[in-house]
Amino acid sequence: MVVAKKTKKSQESINNRLALVVKSGKYTLGYKTVLRSLRNNRGKLVIISNNCPPLEKSAIEYYAMLAKVGVHHFNGNNVDLGTACGKYFRVCCLSIIDPGDSDIIKSMPGDQ
Amino acid sequence: MVKFLKPGKAVIVLQGRFAGRKAVIIRCFDEGTRDRPYGHCLVAGILKYPKKVIRKDSAKKTAKKSRVKAFLKVVNYSHIMPTRYTLDVDLKDVVSLDALQSRDKKVAACKETKARFEERFKTGKNRWFFTKLRF
Repeated sequence: MVVAKKTKKSQESINNRLALVVKSGKYTLGYKTVLRSLRNNRGKLVIISNNCPPLEKSAIEYYAMLAKVGVHHFNGNNVDLGTACGKYFRVCCLSIIDPGDSDIIKSMPGDQ
Repeated sequence: MVKFLKPGKAVIVLQGRFAGRKAVIIRCFDEGTRDRPYGHCLVAGILKYPKKVIRKDSAKKTAKKSRVKAFLKVVNYSHIMPTRYTLDVDLKDVVSLDALQSRDKKVAACKETKARFEERFKTGKNRWFFTKLRF
């Protein structure tokens, strides 16, 4: 399956949207809380970094498939995802609970 | 966001004595209770899977191989792995929280669960549920 090369522009727009969610919405970071948010139906979008361990990645994708929640594979590793969230630590996966002012949920319904 | 941890969902127990066994959710406590302040559910699972029955088995042998041993457990949501399968066996009247209070009530409930599982296995439906998970 050929995946279109992520352009610089769309990567920036994801980062912008993520920054807006962090500023105005609710989110959780980390594998355990992502699964918890999917289990109690609070998660609306899940973002996974590209160096997430494959077992955790497939577990999150399976939960998201059951919950019918979109999964977005972030084009960057956990260091980049942490930076995109404005944090000084690494983030492998995060779940957006309430997007706030951002339109991240509508514009990125999730790509498999 | 569809709620998927519902009664009837087939799950795999991940931790504890019954790790690796398949179970079906009977009752969910999403908000938790006073004693267990976390999301948990009551599951009924298979302790001993039925053995593989082949065509040349006699009726006596088939009956022996189709036996199932069941277990009941209250388990934390984070210790189960939900699957896309369901098992619609009506166990709500048999399995309840007070059945787990005393040993003989639990044994009686397990016996009834075992009977229901065995009759479901003999119909040949839900074959995934009654096969052992290989790992």
